[in-house]
Amino acid sequence: MTQQATNGRRPSAVAAHPLISAGIAILIAADIFFALYTPIYARLTPKLGDFPFFYWYLLIFMPVTSAALWLATLLQKRLGDTRGTQ
Amino acid sequence: MSHVNATTFTIVVVLFLIVTGAGFAAARWRRPTTMMHLDEWGLAGRGFGLFITWFLLGGDLYTAYTFIAVPALVFGSGSIGFYAVAYTIMVFPIVFIFLPRLWSVSRVHGYVTPADFIRGRYGSRGLALASAFTGILALMPYIALQLVGIQAVLTVMGVGTSSANTFVKDLPLFIAFLVLAIFTYVSGLRAPALIAFIKDTLIYLFVIVAVFYIPTRLGGWSHIFGVAQAHFASISPATKKPIGTFIPPSKSVGSTQFDFASLALGSAVALFLYPHAITGTLAARRRSTVTRNMIYLPLYSVLLALIALFGYMAVADPVTTANVKKSGNPQLAVPYLFQHMFPSWFTGIAFAGIIIGALVPAAIMSIAAANLFTRNVFTEFFKPDASPELQTRLSQWASLVVKLGALLFAVELPHTFSINLQLLGGIWILQLAPMLIGGLFTRWFHRWALLAGWLAGMVFGTLAAYNVSNATASHWAASSDIEFGHSVYIGLSAVVLNLVIAVVVTVALRAARVPEGADETQPGQYTADPDEAPAPTPAGVGAAP
Repeated sequence: MTQQATNGRRPSAVAAHPLISAGIAILIAADIFFALYTPIYARLTPKLGDFPFFYWYLLIFMPVTSAALWLATLLQKRLGDTRGTQ
Repeated sequence: MSHVNATTFTIVVVLFLIVTGAGFAAARWRRPTTMMHLDEWGLAGRGFGLFITWFLLGGDLYTAYTFIAVPALVFGSGSIGFYAVAYTIMVFPIVFIFLPRLWSVSRVHGYVTPADFIRGRYGSRGLALASAFTGILALMPYIALQLVGIQAVLTVMGVGTSSANTFVKDLPLFIAFLVLAIFTYVSGLRAPALIAFIKDTLIYLFVIVAVFYIPTRLGGWSHIFGVAQAHFASISPATKKPIGTFIPPSKSVGSTQFDFASLALGSAVALFLYPHAITGTLAARRRSTVTRNMIYLPLYSVLLALIALFGYMAVADPVTTANVKKSGNPQLAVPYLFQHMFPSWFTGIAFAGIIIGALVPAAIMSIAAANLFTRNVFTEFFKPDASPELQTRLSQWASLVVKLGALLFAVELPHTFSINLQLLGGIWILQLAPMLIGGLFTRWFHRWALLAGWLAGMVFGTLAAYNVSNATASHWAASSDIEFGHSVYIGLSAVVLNLVIAVVVTVALRAARVPEGADETQPGQYTADPDEAPAPTPAGVGAAP
C-alpha cells in the first residue's frame, strides 16, 4: 500500500524488498488501526496523572503517528534508493 | 457597542491591521514574473518548501470553525467530540497512502484542481464536472462557517450586537470579509500562505497558555475531568437520557464507539478530498515536501486535542456555563471561557487568533472553488481556448463571488442551516473517494460506473441526513444514523453504497464493452518527482507532459 508497492510499472521494487515493503504497510496499517479500533482505548483507567486513559491515549498517539510516518519515509527511501530513483 | 472591552478590542484591531498589510504585501513575496497564471495566483508558483507548506496546510486544515465547533460539541455532548482528535490521528497515515501520488501526477500534467485529474484519468468531462460540482457545493457552507466562527467571537466581544439592522449589526464582519476578498483577489494563494505564519503563531501561543493557565484557575485537571464526568452522566429532563458521555460507551447510551470510529474514519478520508486541502498540497515544491509534511502535521493534532479539552474546561467553569446558557448558543463556549479566564489583553490575542484563523482557510477555500469553476466548468464547457490570463482573471472574480455567496449564507440564513450544510458537505465530499483515491491506484473502475456510484452516494447521503431526528429537531439532528443495528456516520455508509454500485456497474459495463475513455496518465507519473514546474499550458487540462 505504498507508492512504490503499487507502482504497476516497477513491481520489482516490492518483489525485491518484500520485508521493507511489508514494514511500511504494517506501520501505516497499525497507525490507522490503533486509532480506529475504539474498544482499545474507550476506558477510564489506567490514568496518567489526572488524565483518564481515553484522553491521554489520544494525546500520546500524536507523536507516535509522527514517529511511525517518519520510519515509513525512511523505509521508502531505502526502497527508492535500491531502485535508483528518487 | 456598550460593553466592549477597549483593550481587547484594540488588540484585535491592531492584529487585524497587521494581517491586512501582510495580505497585500504577499503579492510581492517570492514575486513571479507574472501573476496572471493560475499556477501563480492559484498555487503560488508551486514552489513552497517543507516549512511554508507546513504552515500553509496547518492554517488551511484547522479552521476557525474547528476551534469553535469541536469544543462546542465536547461542551454539549462530551466524549463524542473527541472523534475529531482520533480523526486527525488517522488522517495522516491515510493521506500518506495516496496524496504523494496525486501530487506527482498533478505536477507532471500541470493539474490545478482535483477535477483536472479526474478529467485526465478517465477522459470524462462529465465525471470531472460532477467532482467539481461536489467540491464547490461542499466548500460554500464551509466558507460560511468560517464567518460563523468570526461572528461567535464578535458576539462575545460585544461588537455590533446592539442594532436590529442586519447590515449595521454585521458591519465588522462585512469589513473583515471585504478586506479578505480584496487581498485574496490581489495576492492569490500567497496571501493566506503568509498570513498562516501569523495565525499559527497566535494560536499556538494562546492554546499553550490556556492549557497550562486555565486548569490552575479551575482547581486542576482532576477537578475539570471530575466535573465533566458527573455532568455528562446526569439525566437530561428533555430526553430522559444522560446529557452526554465521558467515555464512548459500547452500548447505545448516547453516542457509541462504532459511531465514534466511523465519524473519525469518514472525516479522515474526506479531509484531503476537499479541494482546498488539495490546493495547499499542490503548491508544494517537491514530492518529499508532501510526504515529510505528514510527519510534522500531527503537531497540529496535538493542538486540536488540547482545544477539544477547552470544552471540558468550559463545563467546569460555572461563569462560562451560565453565560452560554443565557445566550442559548453552545458555539460561544470557548470565547466566553477565554473572556472569563484571561486578562483582557490576552483575550484580545486569542480572539484575534480565531478571527485570523478564519481568514486563512476562507481565502484558500475561495481560491479552490474559483479554480474549480474556471478550469472545470467555464474553460471546459464554454471557452476551451481560454488563455492563462483569462483563466486567472476569471478565478479572481469567481473567488469574490464565492465569498459573497458565503457571506449571504452566514448573515441571512439561520446558523443551524449553515451547520447542516457543512455536515452535508462532509458527506458529499466523501463521495469523491472512489473516483479520486481509487483513480490514483487503478483504472479498473469504469467512468460511468463511478458516476452512478457518486449519484447514489449523494442522494442516499442527503436523504439519510435529512431524515435524522431527535427529541429537539425533526430533521438534520445528527450526522449519524442507524445501519444494521449500529449508529454509523452517514458519509461512511453512503460511500460504501457508492463503492458497491461502482463495482457492480463496472463489471456490467465491462461485460458490455462500453468505451472506457482515454487515460492520459502513465503508471510512472504517479511516483514521479519532477524538479521543475510543468511548462504553463495554454488551454486548461489535458496537455501532454
